Amino acid sequence: MSITQYNGGTILAMAGKNCVVIGSDKRLGVQNLTVSTEFQKIFPVTEKCYIGLPGLASDVQTLSELFRLKVNMYKLREEREIEPLTLANMISSTLYGRRFGPYFCEPIVAGLDKNNKPHIYGMDLIGCLNFPDDFTVAGCAEEALFGMCESLWEPDLEPDDLFETASQALLSAADRNSMVGWGAVIHTITPDRVITRTLKTRMVIYYISYI
Amino acid sequence: MEFLLGITGKDFVLTVSDTAAIRSIVVFKNNDDKSLDLNKHVVMLYSGNPGDTTHFAEYIQRNVKLYEIKNGIELTPKATATFTRRELATSLRSRKPYNVNLLIAGYDVTTSLPHLYWIDYLGTNATLPYAAHGYGAYYTLSILDKYHRPDISLDEAKAIVKKCIEELKTRFLFNLSGFKVKVTDKDGIREIEI
Amino acid sequence: MNPVALYNHEPLTSAAKQHQFDPYEMNGGTSLVIKGSDFCVVASDTRQSVGFQINSRYAPKTFKLTDNAVITASGFSADSLALFKKLSQNLEWYKHAHDKVMSTPAIAQMLSNTLYYKRFFPYYSFCLVGGIDEQGRGVAYSYDPMGSYGPEPYKSVGSASTLIQPFLDNQARVGHQNQQIVQQSEISLESAISITKDAFTSASERDIYTGDFLEIFVIKQGGVTVERVDLRKD
Repeated sequence: MSITQYNGGTILAMAGKNCVVIGSDKRLGVQNLTVSTEFQKIFPVTEKCYIGLPGLASDVQTLSELFRLKVNMYKLREEREIEPLTLANMISSTLYGRRFGPYFCEPIVAGLDKNNKPHIYGMDLIGCLNFPDDFTVAGCAEEALFGMCESLWEPDLEPDDLFETASQALLSAADRNSMVGWGAVIHTITPDRVITRTLKTRMVIYYISYI
Repeated sequence: MEFLLGITGKDFVLTVSDTAAIRSIVVFKNNDDKSLDLNKHVVMLYSGNPGDTTHFAEYIQRNVKLYEIKNGIELTPKATATFTRRELATSLRSRKPYNVNLLIAGYDVTTSLPHLYWIDYLGTNATLPYAAHGYGAYYTLSILDKYHRPDISLDEAKAIVKKCIEELKTRFLFNLSGFKVKVTDKDGIREIEI
Repeated sequence: MNPVALYNHEPLTSAAKQHQFDPYEMNGGTSLVIKGSDFCVVASDTRQSVGFQINSRYAPKTFKLTDNAVITASGFSADSLALFKKLSQNLEWYKHAHDKVMSTPAIAQMLSNTLYYKRFFPYYSFCLVGGIDEQGRGVAYSYDPMGSYGPEPYKSVGSASTLIQPFLDNQARVGHQNQQIVQQSEISLESAISITKDAFTSASERDIYTGDFLEIFVIKQGGVTVERVDLRKD
């Protein structure tokens, strides 16, 4: 098993009409053993921009601290908030700085810029950036999420519909992966506020007797 | 084969560590203390490579002390755990990483709340209501899942620990000879019998 | 030691070279089955690949066994075709011996036996059987290569199964999963076909082993119909 799958966890981000969502599961495991069901993988950067860090939990925490430092230094020097694209490039450069001994993490950036235009970015563990205009996924349930997002996502969704789409995608993907789940968090980022909702996964009593 | 356990309660943290010092097939010692008091209200339990564990624990203990001497304030449990995690994460990518797993248990006198941090040799830090390291985790976590509540009293916590130890004695292949149990609360850290 | 040997790229040891014959290949492709109350939908793409090479854009993986049963398989296509041929022969013999067509649940059991017969040199096929039983109810079964099988309400196997299966959980399950306040009604034929098309068009966007054409078999009382749909060709 790959080291990026050692702790489990998965993240997705979707773009809508003047809004974005970013969501993750809440599990932290050591292979098959679940250690925590309240593990933070998504970190706020500004009031309208979040980063998701799936991968090796140690690097998730190291990077979240490193990016917090860098973003705070940026704010002090520039006297303004960092834009999503700038942030994505900063993260990408940081990761490429460790080209031959990488952090085992594939970050996702989601946010609105100063004109409230939605931005989502994905990258691999050495910082190769992706600029999708629909959705981006990473982590242990990446494939399942690709299948879900590719079939559920549609352009120009309003915040509530985008949240519902992302929730259904994340929950259905999480329920088919034993390394992923134990609840989920979804942040819906809109021009005037961020709505953070917590979801239950694999806790519904299914109706299965009809087989 | 080493086993560490921590349970938070209403206003305390209960920590358990086994006392066997084993190398290969030989039990060297039956009263080994695998914990170290970092300050008056924070205790660290450690397991892993025998050389690394004591060296790393003492290194952390003295740095925590140094901070207190320099700044005249006691580090909170969270600050201690964050510092310790960072040391392990840095060590992971060094020439010779420490192989140490930790539980950091403490009572935060500023907020009057108990805290428990689970940290592994990779530098993963998880804040938990109850936590375990080693093979013992596979036997005891399910018991804790069933019986633990955030507001349990010390007596209830002791009863849960007894259940855990009982399970290890019946199902774990290695007979863990003894356990050191410590309580950390507003009055500091003290060892108790169970 | 002969100094010339240092320039020789051959290993200096005299150990015998190990040549191993690998009789299996992975040809990719995805199959799917959704059962309803009085019908069953079986579908698969038609691409056949090895590695980055596309062998064929139209190499069907789904076949009609009887008027009431359809089989589909992904994995190693030569094994699958050999398996289908064996099943067809057995069905033919059964018809002549008993003067009736084998029922779909009986075919399902026979496939399991056929697969398990080669337990230690298996057919590398991930099979699905869909159809209607003797009462006209929709039935579907899924298999592993050794013959372990069971009934399913819906199932996807093959290279894009990880993409499609959670989508089916979400869309094809009675009273959609993760939606508690939803009407509990059996899936209709129209929605089963539409879900199938969506699943494959989405899967072919991300899975390089799924594409070219989609063949949808619908099994109902009175026979089997086939529909062919275009998928991405790149």
